[in-house]
Amino acid sequence: MKILSSIKYPLLKAIDISGLTFLSPVVRLCYGEEPSVQLKKIGQWIIIPVAAMLLFIFAWNAGSGLIKTKAGTLPTPGETADALGSINTFADREDLKKEAYNLTGEERLAALAVAEAQLASITPKVQETTDAVAQAKSEHEKSIAVVVEPLEKNYDELKEKFSQAQDKRKQELESVSETLVIGDKASYTKFLDLVKANESQTDAEKTELSSLKAAISDARNDKSKKVALALSMQTKVAEEKQFLEKQIEQLTKRNRSIMVESAETNISTTTEELYQLTGADAYKKARSIAKDESRLEKTIESKYAQPATLWYQVRRSILCVFTGFIIGAGIAIPIGILCGLNSTFMAAMTPFIAIFKPVSPIVWLPIALIIVGGFIPDPENNAVIQWLWKAPLIDIYKINPAFIASAITVALCSLWATLANTALGVASIDKDHMNVARVLKLGFWSRLFKIVIPSALPLIFAGLRISLGVGWMVLIAAELLSSSEGIGKFVWDQFNNGASDSFAKMMVVVFVVGFVGLILDRIMIVFQRLVSFEGSKAAI
Amino acid sequence: MKKRLIIPIIGLLASASLPAETLDLEKDSLKFGFIKLTDCAPIVIAKEKGFFEDEGLQVEVIAQPNWKTLLDNVISGELDGAHMLSGQPIAATIGFGTKAHIVTAFTMDLNGNGITVSNSIWEQMQENDPRLDSPTPPHPISAEALKPIVEEKLDDGEKLQMGMVFPTSTHNYELRYWLAASGINPGMYTKSDIGGRTDAQVELSVTPPPMMPATLEAGNIQGYCVGEPWNQAAVEKGIGVPVTTNFDIWKNNPEKVFGVSKAWADENPQTYLAVTKALILAGQWLDETDASGKLVNREEAARILSRPDYVGADYDVIKNSMTGFFLFQKTDKREMPDFNVFYKYHCTYPWYSDGIWFLTQMRRWGQITEAKPKDWYLETAKEVYKPEIYLKAAQLLLDEDKIKKEDIPWDSDGFKAPTTEFIDGIEYNGKEPIKYLNSHKIGNKDSE
Amino acid sequence: MSYLELKDVSVSFGPASNRTEVLSNLNLKVEENEFVAVIGFSGAGKSTLMSLLAGLQEPTNGEVLFKGKPIKGPGPDLGIMFQNYSLLPWLSVNDNVKLAVNKVFPELSKKEVDEKIHNYVEMVRLDHAGDKKPHELSGGMRQRASLARTLSLDPEVLLLDEPLSALDALTRSELQDQILNIWERDKRTVVMITNDVDEAVLMADRIVPLTMGPKATLADEFIVNMERPRDRHTLNDHPEFMRLKAEITRFMMNLNKEAKSLAKPVNTSMPDIAPKDFTVPSGRPQFSRNFKISASPSTPS
Repeated sequence: MKILSSIKYPLLKAIDISGLTFLSPVVRLCYGEEPSVQLKKIGQWIIIPVAAMLLFIFAWNAGSGLIKTKAGTLPTPGETADALGSINTFADREDLKKEAYNLTGEERLAALAVAEAQLASITPKVQETTDAVAQAKSEHEKSIAVVVEPLEKNYDELKEKFSQAQDKRKQELESVSETLVIGDKASYTKFLDLVKANESQTDAEKTELSSLKAAISDARNDKSKKVALALSMQTKVAEEKQFLEKQIEQLTKRNRSIMVESAETNISTTTEELYQLTGADAYKKARSIAKDESRLEKTIESKYAQPATLWYQVRRSILCVFTGFIIGAGIAIPIGILCGLNSTFMAAMTPFIAIFKPVSPIVWLPIALIIVGGFIPDPENNAVIQWLWKAPLIDIYKINPAFIASAITVALCSLWATLANTALGVASIDKDHMNVARVLKLGFWSRLFKIVIPSALPLIFAGLRISLGVGWMVLIAAELLSSSEGIGKFVWDQFNNGASDSFAKMMVVVFVVGFVGLILDRIMIVFQRLVSFEGSKAAI
Repeated sequence: MKKRLIIPIIGLLASASLPAETLDLEKDSLKFGFIKLTDCAPIVIAKEKGFFEDEGLQVEVIAQPNWKTLLDNVISGELDGAHMLSGQPIAATIGFGTKAHIVTAFTMDLNGNGITVSNSIWEQMQENDPRLDSPTPPHPISAEALKPIVEEKLDDGEKLQMGMVFPTSTHNYELRYWLAASGINPGMYTKSDIGGRTDAQVELSVTPPPMMPATLEAGNIQGYCVGEPWNQAAVEKGIGVPVTTNFDIWKNNPEKVFGVSKAWADENPQTYLAVTKALILAGQWLDETDASGKLVNREEAARILSRPDYVGADYDVIKNSMTGFFLFQKTDKREMPDFNVFYKYHCTYPWYSDGIWFLTQMRRWGQITEAKPKDWYLETAKEVYKPEIYLKAAQLLLDEDKIKKEDIPWDSDGFKAPTTEFIDGIEYNGKEPIKYLNSHKIGNKDSE
Repeated sequence: MSYLELKDVSVSFGPASNRTEVLSNLNLKVEENEFVAVIGFSGAGKSTLMSLLAGLQEPTNGEVLFKGKPIKGPGPDLGIMFQNYSLLPWLSVNDNVKLAVNKVFPELSKKEVDEKIHNYVEMVRLDHAGDKKPHELSGGMRQRASLARTLSLDPEVLLLDEPLSALDALTRSELQDQILNIWERDKRTVVMITNDVDEAVLMADRIVPLTMGPKATLADEFIVNMERPRDRHTLNDHPEFMRLKAEITRFMMNLNKEAKSLAKPVNTSMPDIAPKDFTVPSGRPQFSRNFKISASPSTPS
């Protein structure tokens, strides 16, 4: 009990610093502090936002069916959740395949047994679902035919009728034209009117026909929910089956331990054979053994080439945004401090800031790519890149020139907020604090680190927070263009896929991006609060 | 206990998982790029069906956003090799666009493209040619019915806009060929006009393949030439009508190649052989038929390609063309067994004559700005196409008894027999590029 | 030669066409270990005077001499305690003092530094709050912390710029005692600016009034001839104290009147409406408040 009450204020303080203030009434309520006030706050800061979210999901669900183009329909919340599921399934399967590649001994056999059992249970379903699709399709075709057939009949009849009518009118007009008398202007005028009337009649008939045709084509394009459902079931089963077959392969002939053992057996047999040979044959054999051995070594070290999953891409994007953010901060803060300290330098920098600040990431990226490409022409033989590929923790992210170019783009687009805020923070430092520095006769560096930077820190962090937010937005575009593995590439790939669930997967990304952005912002708020002091500018 | 269970499995698999002749791989983990089109299949299949692994290669297959980025990534070394447009290695080597020496020892497929027009253009074409106004109009459809529409537009001061995927893509040349065969000028490239719109009656612009349907629907273009699944997607979504396939424009025309940089090929000769071997086997697997001639592995291939990290389009859409069918309209599903050819007709061999055809097209439309002597065409093709590597890889496969002898043109001089199987019936003989150039009405002509 | 000297000093602001002379023709001599109080109205230019003495500002004319040499700039020798504390808000009290100690005694070990800090913080009786940040302290505590930091510079001259102006009466007298204690124990030269006559008489050896600005200057000084230590409780009965207080108060009142009569008449014709006062009533002018209190002998300070 005592411990509970002793952590109350630290807890509330932590909540305050982290900016999760909506939790504070909950904590206070738990301690029985003014229940009615706390309940009111909970209502305002928890229940109302949750209700608003629910309302939004409801409106989204209701509205998504209405927004329809030929390219696709806005996915419903349910479809989006399904897409999240299928993204996760894909990721899980890839992890399992990777695991299967590395499994050895009893574990491998156990996994193999499981996979085989699953495959046996799923195989009969493949035919079932295929039949279901065929049936749904034929039913759908029939239902379309019911609509389309009378329309087509109507169309054919009308077309026939119109073309006969048109021929007839043409003949009539031709016969009228025979009766024209040169010099009789009135008769010509009348004839011209007749021709015009005929043309407009023909146009009207054409319009009628083409509207009928549009109706037919619309009817044909009618999508059936049943077919879509059957197709998605079929896809699910077929993908599962394909995965299990691949998994079994990964557990047997593509398994690393199996490949190693078979290579070892092979080497020992050929070595036995070598002992019976002399001369050129012996040389040939010995050489092939040497080759086999070096290949065996490579097999032992080999890794399963795993495709990128969304979660890997999210992690890589976060790494990329922080890399860019740190590069940007590393440029912006020193320049910002110089600008704040020295108005001449500020004047010199102003045109650059004004010109470069509004430049879009789409423009920076190709330039960044060229510059990075200039420094790293051959990533395979570049010491820094090779080091990054072996460095602990980040080795799995395979930092390549596209990654670096994306990070630089993030830096170039996001550094301006930090620069401006740093300059402002340094320039607006309290005169009294500067007087303290003068009285203490602090040198340039200790004045910088003991007075100027601490004093400007709240504003610098406010700038950094904006920068990180901008960087996160920019990164998606940069990755999309540079095809650097990350969220942007995932979005582009989905857009390119154009499959029935691609839009839903992009909706998932909307929420993932929003959520990660929120977390990044919260982290920066915590930092900003930690460095803020009373009376500091931009205190939240 | 453990040993006893494993050994029989090893016994079963030892022969399958070890090639007879082990290559000295310089590099065993590779990255290949591809564009989301069904004709990337040989690379994807070689990975998924384990042909790369059988050669001791661990391969990552990475989707690229567009042809330009793909080429840049191969040049920079970010990718070891990639699925490329046939024109790309040639253009890069002669320096049209990004200059870099790219080589190829493997042709990935034949055919596989289509020309799609928007619904309203299709309706107007039907008005111009009543034979088209049928659920199953007669093929081939030429651009004759399109011509009045183009002329009408020109009278209104507008130009018909059509999309293709890359300046040096097969699609660009095919679309131009199709239009020019009916007397429509698709525009010339000149030194100052690298957009290729000089004197154009129809303006062509570059759009990445996956964006074609959306761009068509948005009305920015009225038609496009692209690979699968983007023609079938237009039918599926009801936004356009494929009027012809490149099979009708030039029967069994070469489409994609597997390109690597010359530097990479020189550094990794053994790896390159291993990769080529795996790709040949993947092609063979894709074109495997049963006794009745039915393609037996295509449904599985379509299923693999529909995975989101590969082509990613719906299985139902990919399946059509991959299994030998093509949907021209919802009412018009035709059997086209040769819509995608991955192995038959000696198609995986890197033919000099194919390279020369692309060079003639580049010259015809002015991408090559100056007249070149006849010999230059063959020399350039020889710089890019590497049948010697292909044959070496094929020989290794033959030794391992994995392919049949008759499937490989062992003694070819690199030239396909002259053919007239074009939509306009003009004969193409790879040994006479200048003559061929001069036999067209529209386009640059050179003196011998 | 005096220890600290102002020689014909004047300070003006603004461009030549529209120059305002804030301080005009100031002359002051302060001897070593002397406690001088400068008394003046708000806005007379007292803080400018302090800045001149601390070397934070240079005079427009004349010169400020310290030990016979012109002051080149601020430094720890001239320890100024700012009117608005000027504590660094991101540092604790101890760290604020530490900044000064480290600067003045760079050769000390970490332990000696800690001792010194403790020493000064204890001197102002803030040892219980050494780890607190300025915003966690009351106004009086902040002023004491500021005093501790100034003292820790071990300055030869202590310049106190209205050090106690923001405090309530009780804290104020407590701090007055502390300053006096410190000064008496550890003699050094002090120049204090104040607007409180009682305070000046209680603490200083000499009191120099600053006339009303603009063109403020120093008037004739008052010598405080009272033995030390001075006991504030019996002070009100001390005849010298009463005399000085009355004299200075009268002098200051006259200054005020004079300033009003000297003020130029407004030439522009004003509408015949009395302007309404929208100012918040709590803004009490410092001087008048203290002045009133000390002017009425019946009110003990």
